[in-house]
Amino acid sequence: MWLASIMFPWQFLTFLLALSADMCKAKECADFVDLELAHAIIGTTLKIRLLLFTRDTIHCGSFLSHVNFSADPHFNLSRPTTFVIHGYRPTGSPPVWAHQITELLLARKDMNVILVDWNHGAANVNYFKAVENTHQAGENLTGFLKLMKEHGASLSDIHMIGVSLGAHISGFVGANFNGAIGRITALDPAGPQFTGTPPEDRLDPTDAQFVDALHTDIDAFGYRGALGHIDFYANGGTDQPGCPKTIFSGTAYFKCDHQRSVYLYCESLNLTCTSRAFPCSSFKDFQDGKCTSCEQFGDAGCPVLGYDIDKWKHVLLKLGQSKNYFVTNEKAPFCMVNYKLDVVVWNEEDHWGYITVKLHGNGTDAVAKIDHRATQFKKFTETKLFAQFDTDLQAVTKMSLMFSTGNVFKPKYKLRVLRIRLTHLERYDRPLCRYDLVLEESKEVSFAPLPCQESNF
Amino acid sequence: MTTDFEMQAFKTNGSDAVGRSLTTGNGANHAYRCRDEGSVLLSAQRNGHSGETMPSGCVTAEAFAGSKESAAHKVKRELSEAVCGKVRLWMLLVLLPVVIVAVVLISLGVCSAIHEDTDEKFNRSSFRVARLFNGSFSLPGLTFTEDLLSLSSNQSRALTGDLQGKLSDVYRSSPALGRYFSKAEIYALRPGSVIAEYQLTFVMPEEHQEQLRSFTLSREMVYNVLRQFLYDQEGRGASPSSALYIDPVSLKLS
Repeated sequence: MWLASIMFPWQFLTFLLALSADMCKAKECADFVDLELAHAIIGTTLKIRLLLFTRDTIHCGSFLSHVNFSADPHFNLSRPTTFVIHGYRPTGSPPVWAHQITELLLARKDMNVILVDWNHGAANVNYFKAVENTHQAGENLTGFLKLMKEHGASLSDIHMIGVSLGAHISGFVGANFNGAIGRITALDPAGPQFTGTPPEDRLDPTDAQFVDALHTDIDAFGYRGALGHIDFYANGGTDQPGCPKTIFSGTAYFKCDHQRSVYLYCESLNLTCTSRAFPCSSFKDFQDGKCTSCEQFGDAGCPVLGYDIDKWKHVLLKLGQSKNYFVTNEKAPFCMVNYKLDVVVWNEEDHWGYITVKLHGNGTDAVAKIDHRATQFKKFTETKLFAQFDTDLQAVTKMSLMFSTGNVFKPKYKLRVLRIRLTHLERYDRPLCRYDLVLEESKEVSFAPLPCQESNF
Repeated sequence: MTTDFEMQAFKTNGSDAVGRSLTTGNGANHAYRCRDEGSVLLSAQRNGHSGETMPSGCVTAEAFAGSKESAAHKVKRELSEAVCGKVRLWMLLVLLPVVIVAVVLISLGVCSAIHEDTDEKFNRSSFRVARLFNGSFSLPGLTFTEDLLSLSSNQSRALTGDLQGKLSDVYRSSPALGRYFSKAEIYALRPGSVIAEYQLTFVMPEEHQEQLRSFTLSREMVYNVLRQFLYDQEGRGASPSSALYIDPVSLKLS
């Protein structure tokens, strides 16, 4: 009897599933064209397909005619429209993230999401051919947008999200409207064939009212320089944590860094956590904790990566181009929590080393390793460190510190600390302090931190 | 094969000289074998297995047969050539890196052993300048009695003695402040449950006075070392109703 009661919902669900599958089949959902590697080897000519998704048709897109809008009742021009444009497809396969980003966008806002499928054109072993096609794709989409405008759409309500080569296509479209388009988001804009070119041959800040870019692979497929009003550099924009370091991992070795930009952006869409990015002249200065100030942004604090960056639009437009840095975890959730750690020591001799901080609270631990380079600790001088923790703890009950130098043969040093102060950079919590510590090399010291009182040194 | 050969040769070498000088027939046996053997390879093998070293005359005899020698054999023979007395070339080659590694390890060990932590050295007799701090704290676990008004009463003496001991222990065991700490004194007890007023005396050297005043012996440090001790006590489950419990929030220092 109880077995039957468990079985019932399953039977019901499978029935529903079958039914919905039938409905989909009947309507024939439009989907990305899936090409073979052979197509890419022969080469493909440009053919642009527009796939429309709305809140009513989240899981079943429809083909959108380039000329006749009235054919699709779901295409409502009073809603804002977001274009998602993919990049180079060397194997001809459809992008794995296409449906994920569509669903996340629709969950955020009632809008038209148009997946621009230019797989015919992007699938080509010859990268230069695909680059050539971007210009034509730009012209094609410009025509479509002109028609949208004629039908009453507002250019300010148009957001183009371009991945890799798609970022430059968005730039070409934007340039054709003299920057009247609302927003262009560039996810790791392509570098090869675009680096060093004048602004009209690539994406630049004049192409839209607001241009935000995220860089994750500037040393290979990505664009190194800044080309938006704000440019985010994840982990310095080069090697992403968790991505394979050797070619033995297969194709992931090539695309992991580049593709990470899309996953980081998706995480910002589903609001699991936020990544603050700090304006800085270089990644090195950022790691050294020289860029922890967010005062110029007022109460909003430093910019948060991703979809919601348009909240900072006005202050960023005033500031001109700005490069912002942040670091991520190896896997989702990628966001890290930023703290400032100030250390004052009383050792006669200077000591150099690395600090590992652990925070404990509510049964969870957060770890930060400050080891991008050896830090100097000098007597009676405040050493400012930048600590990034893998998870956020609301209440810290215990804290552990470890000092290490990496020396095997040298005698064990002791770091004699007058005060350490840990300040959360996003919440305006009272900083946590601990006084009078001796950190023997490679030995973890645990203690309960106490709220700091006014400090004079 | 080669290590086997070396090991055996090494073992027998020492006793070899003794053995040869004792038995006269031994040397003659060698000479005979050398003359007899046409195949050089065979002689090398037998040499290796028996581990016996040949008399010097035998080595020269073999050198003449060198036209047919293989390269490996040549190296083997050269290695077992006498460099100086009983010391063979291969022994030198093995010994040299061992000695180098030993010297490095010993010097590292000595360096670590004689390493002086400059921060642990200080001359207490040179600390002459006094630095005083006054403050108060409350003891919520006690009730104020008339006896506590006078510091000379037995009850007061016991309480101040305990508190002074507690304060001294805290500062004496402090890594940064311990060396400068001189004394802690309770100079008044007031009602409010019981409020104790205390004075801390530190002594410091004349040089670097300003730096010490603003860092190690700053109000912030002296205050917070005691404050964090009191908070830690709370964390260890000290009960506010116990007699010597000091309320961390009531702690004042100037």
